[in-house]
Amino acid sequence: MQPILEVRKLGKQYRVRGFSRIDPTLGEAVVKAAKSSFGRRNGNTGGHDDLLWVLKDVSFEVLPGEVVGIIGRNGAGKSTLLKILSRIIKPTTGEVDIYGRVGSLLEIGTGFHPELTGRENVYLNGAIIGMGRDEIKRKFEEIAAFAEIERFLETPVKYYSSGMYLRLAFAVAVHFEPEILILDEVLAVGDAAFREKCQVKMREVSGEGRTVFYVSHDLTSIQQLCSRALLIEAGHLIDEGEPRSVAANYLKIISSPHRA
Amino acid sequence: MEMRDVPTPEIPDSSFYRIAREPLIKIRASHSPILSQLKDAWTHRELLYFLIWRDLKVRYRQTLLGVGWVVLQPLLTTIVFTVFMSKLVRVPSDGLPYPLFAYAGLLPWMFFSNSVSTSTYGLISNSYIITKVYFPRLIIPAAIVGVRLVDFMVASVVLMGLMLGYGISVKPGILLLPLLVAEIALFSLAISLWFSVLNIRYRDVGTLLPVLIQLWMFSSPVIYPSSLVPTRWRLFYSLNPMSGMLEAIRASLFGLPFDWTGLGISTVVTIVLFTYFVYFFCRREEDLIDIL
Repeated sequence: MQPILEVRKLGKQYRVRGFSRIDPTLGEAVVKAAKSSFGRRNGNTGGHDDLLWVLKDVSFEVLPGEVVGIIGRNGAGKSTLLKILSRIIKPTTGEVDIYGRVGSLLEIGTGFHPELTGRENVYLNGAIIGMGRDEIKRKFEEIAAFAEIERFLETPVKYYSSGMYLRLAFAVAVHFEPEILILDEVLAVGDAAFREKCQVKMREVSGEGRTVFYVSHDLTSIQQLCSRALLIEAGHLIDEGEPRSVAANYLKIISSPHRA
Repeated sequence: MEMRDVPTPEIPDSSFYRIAREPLIKIRASHSPILSQLKDAWTHRELLYFLIWRDLKVRYRQTLLGVGWVVLQPLLTTIVFTVFMSKLVRVPSDGLPYPLFAYAGLLPWMFFSNSVSTSTYGLISNSYIITKVYFPRLIIPAAIVGVRLVDFMVASVVLMGLMLGYGISVKPGILLLPLLVAEIALFSLAISLWFSVLNIRYRDVGTLLPVLIQLWMFSSPVIYPSSLVPTRWRLFYSLNPMSGMLEAIRASLFGLPFDWTGLGISTVVTIVLFTYFVYFFCRREEDLIDIL
């Protein structure tokens, strides 16, 4: 079967500056340019740049309908991978080909504005994550019912309780149905009942044959939802396969005192 | 961390959608071609609409205050300049009542200057969206200019009132007005694109901006007519696209003769700068996120 997503030798390098600040001001840039044009390069002011590979040589393929879980400890490079796949940041090396439309939810309620009402925020958030106006209109009743906030639709969200706010944000998120969905642990908050509702919705979505990327620290949910798992450690893809064995591998790594 | 044994889900039959033969999205380390970026911006035009709608909704929520402020800013400035420039310094105003002359200059000027100063911080103030969702970043400055365009139209109602009050009769030149407003919007977007990138690279650009805008205003015929400028400086003076456009807007509103050379120069400069800064922005936007 033809893969829907191909990742080849993907790498991301960040420049961690030594002495100089990340954002030199225009003033500093002018001074620096003036100094170097007079041939008075001062070794101290420039500092040295440390180059850090947060992701290196990552290659994999995903078949349509696969639900892929990504496991790894904090700072391993999971979010960087998701951000590259979501086109938020560019890779330093390598390439990705995607044969479908991608939608990503790196957080819920992106772009919610406190002064706008619940209804308005559903439209705004929907448009920002990539739902068309017609699609939002069509699903609106469903979203409002899912969030259980029908009575407060015309209230500015700044008056919402944090629970109501989260439910509304979740409700839009779970009704977002791109061909390839990228999820960054967004479904891992909320109260138990609401979480269960999200999990059901999530299974429903993946059952339809949608391709999903899912980052989570919750190994149980990875095993419940995913057909395959990738393990990332220090920027490298070190294991992939059946979620159960990859999860076991991950547990082995985090219990060892030294980094691999 | 505890781990339960759960059966691995099967991959479902994917008759759900058909896979495109060619990749829909190609992610490369190199820059994306400008043309595909522009096409992408076009497919996101609905988001442009929603971002404009958001800002207008929020600002005009308290209707009286929102609309009031949009009208008050040029109106109060007009009053100040009428007192100082007209009554004290006695600046000529092409035979027009000075308040009308100044308001007709300040209105498009503020459309431009407010667009640029809001856009300069546009990418930074929207970074909470930019770092979470992909969309062509071009949309952000474009939405800001769009919002300022609506402000401009709202404040134009007062201009119409002033024109009626002073008994100005409209001449066929008024038909050029929509084109002139479009040109100002284009030029505002060009400079907005430039400054929004610059302010991320060099954070003190935003600090410099108010001074720069002030200087720019005094070197454009906003509160004085360009006929005050000595002839030998004219060509240099008209290289600033705002001067040709402001004069043309007054000519079109009040039925004065057009300075076609001045308008021609500013149109050419606007088109060149717009093309260049769209290119500049598209080239830089992909790297900006790393330092945002």
